[in-house]
Amino acid sequence: MGLRVVLLGLALMAPALPAAAQGDAAARGAALAAERNCGACHGERGISAMPGIPSLAGQQAEFIALQLVLFREGLRDVPAMQAPADGLTDQQVEDLGAYVATLPHAPPPDRAPRDASALEAGAALAGQLRCGVCHLPALTGQNQVPHIAGQREDYLAETLIAYRDSKRHGSDTQMNGVVQGLSDAQIAQIAHYVAQR
Amino acid sequence: MTSHSAWRMALAGALSLSLGSAALAQQAAAPPAWAQGRPAEQATSSLAPHAPRLTATPADRIPLDSIRLPEGFRAELWASGMPGARMMARGEDGTVYVGTRTIGRVYAVKDEGSARSTRILAQRLDNPNGVAVRDGALYVIAVNRVLRFDNIAQNPSAEPVELTQAFALPTEGHHGWKFAAFGPDGKLYMNIGVPCNVCTFDENRHALIVRYNPDGSGREVMGHGIRNSVGFDWRPGTNVLYASNNARDWAGNELPEDTLHRLSRPGEHHGFPYCSGNAWQDPGHTGRQCSEFPAPVAMLGPHTAPLGMRFYTGTMFPEAYRGRAFVARHGSWNRDAKSGFDVVAVTLNEDGTQGRVEPFLSGLLDTAENSFKGRPTDVLVMPDGALLVSDEQNGAIYRITYGR
Repeated sequence: MGLRVVLLGLALMAPALPAAAQGDAAARGAALAAERNCGACHGERGISAMPGIPSLAGQQAEFIALQLVLFREGLRDVPAMQAPADGLTDQQVEDLGAYVATLPHAPPPDRAPRDASALEAGAALAGQLRCGVCHLPALTGQNQVPHIAGQREDYLAETLIAYRDSKRHGSDTQMNGVVQGLSDAQIAQIAHYVAQR
Repeated sequence: MTSHSAWRMALAGALSLSLGSAALAQQAAAPPAWAQGRPAEQATSSLAPHAPRLTATPADRIPLDSIRLPEGFRAELWASGMPGARMMARGEDGTVYVGTRTIGRVYAVKDEGSARSTRILAQRLDNPNGVAVRDGALYVIAVNRVLRFDNIAQNPSAEPVELTQAFALPTEGHHGWKFAAFGPDGKLYMNIGVPCNVCTFDENRHALIVRYNPDGSGREVMGHGIRNSVGFDWRPGTNVLYASNNARDWAGNELPEDTLHRLSRPGEHHGFPYCSGNAWQDPGHTGRQCSEFPAPVAMLGPHTAPLGMRFYTGTMFPEAYRGRAFVARHGSWNRDAKSGFDVVAVTLNEDGTQGRVEPFLSGLLDTAENSFKGRPTDVLVMPDGALLVSDEQNGAIYRITYGR
């Protein structure tokens, strides 16, 4: 995570937690992640080797917390996440976010080789759609906006299709608007480009 | 074949079917509603709406000590632990009902003297921002959903009556969350915002304040051309409706102003999308002129997001405050230097056509750091004359009192 992202995150937190408290939260989150067996699907160190399951390592803490609340409240419908999110307290949700954010980010072990033409087309689309405004130019995210660079390509494509088809909403409707009208082929190009970042 | 080589083949197949570049650019050009209307000079702007906080802020981290008020006033933490707390309505037994947006909940806050107990009354709703109480019933208005909880004080866990079909609200999510209140005429009033930043739309369907009979019948448009009002109230002694309004984004840091409107003639058009703020003609919508519309009563600052507004009807505050309108300014996102994140007081002239805006509650915006600690969202006058202020960012409600 770049310094700028850290500073932005701290600037928006109300109020910022001291570093020691962040460390405690991450340690509690690690224990809870082990207890709830998050690694079985998301990978022991948060790098997913399973198609359709996102990597979590290095993800934005605030994004993780928001998504866990949406799962817990029944506002984001992913059956596999129902049991793991059930009964989490707000503190536990934040602890899990803090933990995941400390794991070193890496692409999945089964990442596909680069396809030059898909990469180029995907980069052009990402530029037109201004992905880098909210996700930042390196696509590492900020606050509630997720780190998407190096995410699983299959998961990225599935997610963009779900946003396009209004099967998924974030904490607002921004992504639904961004991907409105994209073809499956265009989404595949964007997913390839982002996965290769 | 491994799963990823199958994926690569599917991708290659899809690529071969991809559209020509002109169609591609056209399809890819649709921006999200909040980003519509962004001019070329702001194309690289990184301004974007602020994230909601969906987890509880512990009481010791709520920025009560940062709050600044005029002399003689003080703020206390009245209730907390309610992520996303927004619009407030008071039940006849004193329970305060609190709507939310993203987290989909309605809270009930029961005053137990020295402390308040809070509970989740309803959940899994789509932006249940609107709450209103009439004849012992709580009305909850989400996007395209209206629920009525009868005899809520006696039956706190009663199943709601579905009024959704009767109200038949538009289904659009963007600006589809409602502010709701019962008028002195016993009708249920609510806003219907525009499903975009700025666009051409059906002016009988969006950018409205409407009223209904409590059962959802008898829909009447009370005001057209009000882009998105998330707060309104009736001036005491006159029964004239006043409404805060959020003007469009991406027209620059200083334009247009958010506004306070006076709805003196039912059905009148207040200007959007043609005219906004201080007689600012939208260059993209020139079909009608500002001179055709009633001028707003007060300018509330560009992008400050004035939401909840209520007239002060209590007697606890000094005489000068009686009849003033308190307006919670949620705070800007579409402005490089943040502004708002406060509560202002508007003093009207005698005929109510002009208002003077003064600061009231401040301290949650750090202009040096360009950061904020809280977001005032609604105000509510209590029977004892204290003023409740909800803070969505911290899931808290402050109580403002006055005493020498």
